[in-house]
Amino acid sequence: MSSLDEPPNRVITALGLLALVLVWVLDLGTVQPNRIVSGTGYGLFDAAGWFGAVTVSVGLCALMALAILPLRRRYALLGVLLTLALTALPDLLVVFTSAHLPRESPYARTAVGAGFWSLLFLLVLMLIEVVGRLRLGRRGQLGILVVILAGWALLVRQGGLDSLSLMREFESRPDEFLQALRAHLALALGAVAISFVLAFALVLKMMRSEGWRRPVFGVVSFLQTIPSLALFGLLIAPLSALTAAFPVLQGLGIRGIGWAPALLALIAYSLLPMVRNTFVALTEVPEAVIDAGRGMGMTERQLFLQARLPLAMPVIIEGVRITTIQAMGLTAVAALIGAGGFGTFIFQGLGQAAMDLVLLGALPTIGLALAADVVLSALATALQPRPAAVLQHKRTSSG
Amino acid sequence: MRTWRTPILWLAVLLALVLGMEALEPLFRLIQPDTQGVIYRRESFLFLLGNHVLLVLVSATIGTLAAVAGGIFATRPLGRDFLPLVSQIASIGQTFPPVAVLALAVPVLGFGEGPTLVALVLYGLLPVLRNTLAGLDGLDPAVTEAARGMGMSARQVLFQVEIPLAGRVILAGIRTSVTINIATAAIGSTIGARTLGDPVIAGLVNGNTAYVLQGALLIGLLALMTDSLFEALENVWARRVASPQPVA
Repeated sequence: MSSLDEPPNRVITALGLLALVLVWVLDLGTVQPNRIVSGTGYGLFDAAGWFGAVTVSVGLCALMALAILPLRRRYALLGVLLTLALTALPDLLVVFTSAHLPRESPYARTAVGAGFWSLLFLLVLMLIEVVGRLRLGRRGQLGILVVILAGWALLVRQGGLDSLSLMREFESRPDEFLQALRAHLALALGAVAISFVLAFALVLKMMRSEGWRRPVFGVVSFLQTIPSLALFGLLIAPLSALTAAFPVLQGLGIRGIGWAPALLALIAYSLLPMVRNTFVALTEVPEAVIDAGRGMGMTERQLFLQARLPLAMPVIIEGVRITTIQAMGLTAVAALIGAGGFGTFIFQGLGQAAMDLVLLGALPTIGLALAADVVLSALATALQPRPAAVLQHKRTSSG
Repeated sequence: MRTWRTPILWLAVLLALVLGMEALEPLFRLIQPDTQGVIYRRESFLFLLGNHVLLVLVSATIGTLAAVAGGIFATRPLGRDFLPLVSQIASIGQTFPPVAVLALAVPVLGFGEGPTLVALVLYGLLPVLRNTLAGLDGLDPAVTEAARGMGMSARQVLFQVEIPLAGRVILAGIRTSVTINIATAAIGSTIGARTLGDPVIAGLVNGNTAYVLQGALLIGLLALMTDSLFEALENVWARRVASPQPVA
């Protein structure tokens, strides 16, 4: 570490200022007399009392001060403070509900307001900025995430957030929630797995015969261009016709609506990113490597399994990552044709104008997409082939 | 003229179907024999198409302007500090499923075309932003240095060198964004935006496969037409920039 101060950070200052304005202008939360009726909003001061309002404001000012003042370990301090702030953030909601939820009406519930969401969003942005400046590795990032999520989980377990309407919606249908989770994962991951096998077979064929390349790419990019709602819709008619003609299929659960057209459409969408990445990965392995292997007397089979495939793996996994994120989102749309999953809550909630049911579907959908991103990026990094020479060089230079 | 042949062809098919859906009534009657109405008549297809295109067009214009402006800001000396965060937002934001963004717009903004438009703008600017950053930040510094050495001002370098060279990448971003938004606008029917998704949703709710098919066909054709239009635009741009031209 140099003895010079780290230069001031304008990004944190700007975000902090914005957060301070928004948290005072927007409603922190609302209280609803029941599920459907829209509630009354409470600003920061009314919602959290003077103590809460002062804590939030002073906290944000402290972040901005840390970003500007001449400091040596600016980002480490900011990182710790931001992690603490995010971990403690839901406590603001606990304070709010304990002060404002009417005890006598069992249907009353509290909802999270735009002010709280803005504060959460801007704090996350600040944390992303700080983590970037600190050049934290994947392990450090995961550590921060675990701390924050553990804090939230503890609060939920203690029942501090039970009166939140989001929690109420969950508690009135825990079985449905688990079933939706299972259906969502089965559909999305099933489509990804099947398209992976299909894409791999197609790419092997394309590598052998060049005549296959153009038509395969043409078809898969054509499929990707068709909007999801249209593709789901277009598959309904042929599948119903098929099951009408062959009643045996109905016994298998295949119908015009339901999981069958959803799975077909999801596979169709997954093919483009999967084929593209697998093809690029396998064909762009440096010829010198293959020649060297051949010179060592490796058979074609060995060349493929021991040289080409391991080198191509990170790019192939990248294709799986893009496909999985995409499939998690599209599965939510598939609820429209009765495929189940978290989309069911979203569209039910929209139909009943029950906003917290919408959130109960939308937030886990986003969560699954982000989780897929985290897990598969980590896998891609772990599979990065590291030649022995590079490792040795690293060891000597860092030691 | 060859360049524009495919989009014009798709447009012709799309318009023919929009205006002549009635003529296909016997065909849809085959699919849906036991229902009275087999052609969706709650709104005219032309109105739904117009509204759908308008939503995508307005959101693409706002989103592109905002994203390109943001991309330029983050690559100038004034905004360099923001570059890492902005590029992080562009890549993390795309992990959010479009349908979830659409659903989240409702609790905040309510039902209708407005919230749909906001969701389309927010989601649509991410691919453009990412590509603008990639295009501007990925330029060979030697090129901009040469331009500056020729006596060009910072503004001239931006508009006469950087943007034309990054243009193709930015255009590809706009193409991705518009493709996603055509699909998302169709789902916007579920939050009260009147688009070509309406017949699909109405058909799914009432068990009328003919409605579903009509909506799905038109949405699909609109997407294919737009995609081929961008293909043509990209070719034209490539020819313009590649052809030797005296710069300034």
